[in-house]
Amino acid sequence: MIQLRNVYKQFGDRLAVEDLTLTVPAGEIYGLLGHNGAGKSTAISMMLGQVWPTSGMVRVCGHEVTSHRSQALIKVGAIFEAPAFYDYLSGARNLQILSSYTARTPRGRIQEVVEWVGLAGRENSKVKTYSHGMRARLALAQALLPHPELLILDEPGSGLDPEGIHEMRQTILRLHQQLGLTILLSSHLLHEVEQLCTRIAVLNQGRMVFEGDLSATRQRVQWVRLKVSDFSTAVTTLREARLISDHRDGCLVALSEGASSHQLVNLLVHTGISVHEVAHEQHSLENFYLELMGGKRAKN
Amino acid sequence: MFWLHLRNELWKLFGKKRTYIGFGAFILAQNGMLLMFRFTRWQKNWERVLAGNGYLAQDYLSALTVALVMLIPQILLLMPLYTALVGGDLVAKEAEDGTLRMILSRPIARFRLLLVKWLAGIVFAGTLVLALGCTALGFARLWFPWRGMFVYSLWPEHIFNLLTPGHATQLYVCAHLLMTLNASAIVGLAFMFSCFNMKPAAATILALSFLFINVVLEHLPFFEPYQEWFLLYHFRVWLLIFADPIPWDRIMGSLLVLVAFNLTTFLAGTAAFQARDIKS
Repeated sequence: MIQLRNVYKQFGDRLAVEDLTLTVPAGEIYGLLGHNGAGKSTAISMMLGQVWPTSGMVRVCGHEVTSHRSQALIKVGAIFEAPAFYDYLSGARNLQILSSYTARTPRGRIQEVVEWVGLAGRENSKVKTYSHGMRARLALAQALLPHPELLILDEPGSGLDPEGIHEMRQTILRLHQQLGLTILLSSHLLHEVEQLCTRIAVLNQGRMVFEGDLSATRQRVQWVRLKVSDFSTAVTTLREARLISDHRDGCLVALSEGASSHQLVNLLVHTGISVHEVAHEQHSLENFYLELMGGKRAKN
Repeated sequence: MFWLHLRNELWKLFGKKRTYIGFGAFILAQNGMLLMFRFTRWQKNWERVLAGNGYLAQDYLSALTVALVMLIPQILLLMPLYTALVGGDLVAKEAEDGTLRMILSRPIARFRLLLVKWLAGIVFAGTLVLALGCTALGFARLWFPWRGMFVYSLWPEHIFNLLTPGHATQLYVCAHLLMTLNASAIVGLAFMFSCFNMKPAAATILALSFLFINVVLEHLPFFEPYQEWFLLYHFRVWLLIFADPIPWDRIMGSLLVLVAFNLTTFLAGTAAFQARDIKS
């Protein structure tokens, strides 16, 4: 659905995106991760033909964006971090205006989408009277109006309260399941991405540092929380026995390949170190992300 | 689809209060000038000029005469300000507010988007001039009768003419058509600047600065032989329509210059916008 090949984008002296190659297959919920300034929004802007790549190829829905932008975006809906509207006009008028840039939209379709996103009854109020959550729903409505096949969401949960984030998450899942949309979700809310996405790409300083299935992030190093009488002696002992490959935070150890927590406990008890607690650390995306970023920072 | 886009652009433009600042300011200024003309020595001076040339003041101190008197300073001072304000907003305000990014996530060509915005700006210019002409005439009619027109101007063009009500009305309409072209040129100039990566206020200020520099240079003795190179020289054709005889060759020449200026600013703005990156 989306293909980027060796894409570079330079703003003055700053290289915002460097040699970015990624493919978003149809039917996926694809997460684009990275901290602020990592290049996520620039990458999305290039997919939408708002920012021109310095070099490389950007294809959306089978069309090259730089040369055939209009064809590429016909079946695309997008939502940005802070959706902007004409506050002095009604929600319905905003939808009418924004959808007209894709195609003429019948009133019935606008009403249908307004009801789908839960804005029925408020569509004729001026947007300046809308709450943040209602603006988010209006943003979703405008993205859905042209019957998209691909939805690009740039930080959609930003600024929403927990209830709003939950609602947005449920809506994204509904869109994926009921309408079969391909969704590209850019976020730095790792928990969100973990719950929604099937595949992710991680950007750091404009470069892609990981691309793969979300499950792959869980198959990496297994961390064990270890509470013992003397952590540093325990680490030395376990390293000598090659049972662990790393340690951090004064209580976490990374199991070596093939090692188990059972072996850890046995060795520590035999060495006379009291073991108070052993627990497998849940390997969340957050751990993976921090590991990845930590590793990159160390390299830099 | 083109008409739908244009209609939507007009909804956006005329839906915001800011667009009407110019209309409000004009109405206030017109009434202020009307009261000044009516209750100061201004009217008496005009009666004296008419009498001194052998004409009866009551035949020519009419709604049409006073409407034109009210228009001259407003066209010179207020119109550039308000048209530049709206022109500067056309693209830059949308970029600043973030709505431009929403639009450009849609499959609309940048050229078409700018074309409808530019046309909406021209519609605004026409509406402002039309409203200006109608209200000037309307307010003047409240105080003065419908009679012949006396055109007396020493600056920016020297004109002295007396017209019958019918002929004067025709010329008054013609003058407003020419003024629409002037207003469009100012909207187009501010629009061009607003296509670059800058704040709406900066676009407005740049457009006004361009006009101001034109005025200053035009009045320097050194540039007297080069008057035709200045935009404001061509802006004055609306007043020349009241001259006797009407200098059609100069009017046509200025019209061509203004049309060319309008197209140039549009194309320059479009070229800049086409190459621009639109980021949040």
